[in-house]
Amino acid sequence: MAQLSETYACAPSTERGRGILISGDPKSNSILYCNGRSVLIRYLDRPLHVHVYGEHGYPVTVARYSPNGEWIASADVSGTVRIWGTHNEFVLKKDFKVLSGRIDDLQWSADGMRIVACGDGKGKSLVRTFMWDSGSTVGDFDGHSRRVLSCDFKPTRPFRIVTCGEDFLVNLYEGPPFKFKLSIRDHSNFVNCVRFSPDGNKFITVSSDKKGLIYDAKTGDKMGEFSSEDGHTGSIYAVSWNPDSKQVLTVSADKSAKVWEISEDGNGKVVKTLVCSETGAVEDMLVGCLWQNDHLITVSLGGIINIFSTSDLDQAPSSFSGHMKNVTTLTVLKNNQKMLSSSYDGIIIRWIQGVGYSGKIIHKDIPQIKCLVAVEEEIVTSGFDNKVWRIPLSDGECGDAEYVDVGSQPMDVSLAISSPRLALVSTDSGVVLLNGAKVVSNIKLGFPVTACAIAPDGSEAIVGGRDGKLHIYSVSGDTLKEEAVLEKHRGAITVIEYSPDVSMFASADGFHESVVWDRASKEVKLNNMLFHTARLNCLAWSPNSTLVATGSLDTCVVIYEIGKPASSRITIKHAHLGGVYGLAFIDDLNVVSSGEDASVRVWRLTQE
Amino acid sequence: MQLCKFKWDIMNFQPNATSGMGVDDNSKNTFLELKRKKIHRYVIFKIEEKKKEVVVEKTGGPAESYDDFTASLPDNDCRYAVYDYDFVTSDNCQKSKIFFIAWSPSTSRIRSKMLYATSKDRIRRDLDGIHYEVQATDPTEMDLEVLRDRAN
Repeated sequence: MAQLSETYACAPSTERGRGILISGDPKSNSILYCNGRSVLIRYLDRPLHVHVYGEHGYPVTVARYSPNGEWIASADVSGTVRIWGTHNEFVLKKDFKVLSGRIDDLQWSADGMRIVACGDGKGKSLVRTFMWDSGSTVGDFDGHSRRVLSCDFKPTRPFRIVTCGEDFLVNLYEGPPFKFKLSIRDHSNFVNCVRFSPDGNKFITVSSDKKGLIYDAKTGDKMGEFSSEDGHTGSIYAVSWNPDSKQVLTVSADKSAKVWEISEDGNGKVVKTLVCSETGAVEDMLVGCLWQNDHLITVSLGGIINIFSTSDLDQAPSSFSGHMKNVTTLTVLKNNQKMLSSSYDGIIIRWIQGVGYSGKIIHKDIPQIKCLVAVEEEIVTSGFDNKVWRIPLSDGECGDAEYVDVGSQPMDVSLAISSPRLALVSTDSGVVLLNGAKVVSNIKLGFPVTACAIAPDGSEAIVGGRDGKLHIYSVSGDTLKEEAVLEKHRGAITVIEYSPDVSMFASADGFHESVVWDRASKEVKLNNMLFHTARLNCLAWSPNSTLVATGSLDTCVVIYEIGKPASSRITIKHAHLGGVYGLAFIDDLNVVSSGEDASVRVWRLTQE
Repeated sequence: MQLCKFKWDIMNFQPNATSGMGVDDNSKNTFLELKRKKIHRYVIFKIEEKKKEVVVEKTGGPAESYDDFTASLPDNDCRYAVYDYDFVTSDNCQKSKIFFIAWSPSTSRIRSKMLYATSKDRIRRDLDGIHYEVQATDPTEMDLEVLRDRAN
């Protein structure tokens, strides 16, 4: 049996030039955000327990709790809104096709009976308000000609809805049933966000023209604006009110967040500027914010979530992050039990079991990562160009990297663990042996090589081809001598791994089969490992060489035990939405897996 | 006239896409023994191409386990099998269901798969009393769990 023990969740997916919306529930101290097709519910006091809702068929853009905290409404790029329960395993209440294009913002009315959704669409369907349980439209929303970026409900009577968008307009509607009341054109660029104050007296609009304007909520008259002294120097992407309606938090592309004091006459003055950027890079542009209880939460373009405490704004924030894209490789560093995960966009993150996020390893020379292997003191990676990089790692900091050009895109990289200077790289035409950063030999094998492994002492190499055949070579100096060819697989070999005690090796293919072989006799040791239903992406051995775990595109992880028949296996179903791409054993009882949902999960194996 | 008679024979003999295999009496009797007298746990049938018949290849005693049964099926050739599955339901009744397993591994020859697929209807009709049918193309598809899920 396997149980989920920890989840290292992904970061919100961000897009340059647009803000994102995160929301939360003050009562349960949780925040909601979206990545890909999943909605993530994170509890701020229990960061390792994350709930994921993955029922959308399209990338999700925004999710919000209902005022009573019982339901969550989430919207995606196809214009569908799904309303589901917070408890009881996210049972679906209703789903509606609301707009004809992507939905950018969604708000519940204060009584939880109506929902307004706005976004992209054609003509009339840029904004729609509907009853939450029946979906019947409540009002006509003309007035916008371009994408509507944000909308909000006035929380007190008389009810109003305010919307703002890319046509620089802010529109006010009164009702219900909602009718157009007036249009305001005070901004000179996209109006990114509009929010009513919790007491219902004012609303603020923020825009890419770096200004924030404050209006009277009932009449729509302009009351004042954010003072330009100490103001933002870049587009303001989001605004969030304090629960007592006296202060707001804004985040901007100038990489800072500001807390403003809003006076009764409607003018805003900066109270504090929060700078969360260390390097000043593009990734530090802030795109989302939330003021919840005593926490100020900001999200940066690079996916880092910073939490400041209201009581002490000068204190450094607690920050955490995650991957934003498919996590394709996962390794465990043996000496300090840290895990390294990397995604194809070149981000490497370090995780510690029991703690979670422990920092990003950023290297300016590495834009994309396809393969990554790590031993104690260095990382060897390759991307989509012809280079293989070696980066020394000391105390988690990167040293200077050196690279070697191997002639064509590396398909797989394998390190001889006992002598890590030796590496074997497989390419479309053959294999390349590397010693340090030098090419020892470039051997053309005549068949496309898809996976390779080199024995820990560097004396033997196993190479798998697209035709499913495994070729075993003995390595002497710079030449390979073919010792045997093993034919059993029916699809291209995707991964080959030696067992830690080097007595066996396991291979997996694209036809959902994996096989464990005895190294000395080249006989099949464990047969019928066919319990997946799609291509196998990754394979890992337990440190004591008794368990083999395989992860597949079918989102499952299956763990087999050597010595027992393959049918007595442990299956972890739906480990990662979209497919499992990385697997490693932390110790003999804990498996860590990563996948296309950009999350990393730790599973605890228990004996039945 | 001759031509018409010939066609009539063929139509009578092969009403659907069947291969014209007969089922010999021994096969039928062995199946009835499994069903009524419970002296076999499983029976494995094989198609003898030359005799154009389905014959019994192997039977297993009541003490044999499911693993013995799966071990008797060849890896690279098709077979038909009947297995008597005993289990206890959720309200604690001892029940027994007879499974017909069409074993057609993907590693077997195409001719073998074709032959067994087209003769299956004929043998199913003769073996009266089968509760469930399972088609298995690799060992995972006839795993004990599959039988358990079907029976419940």
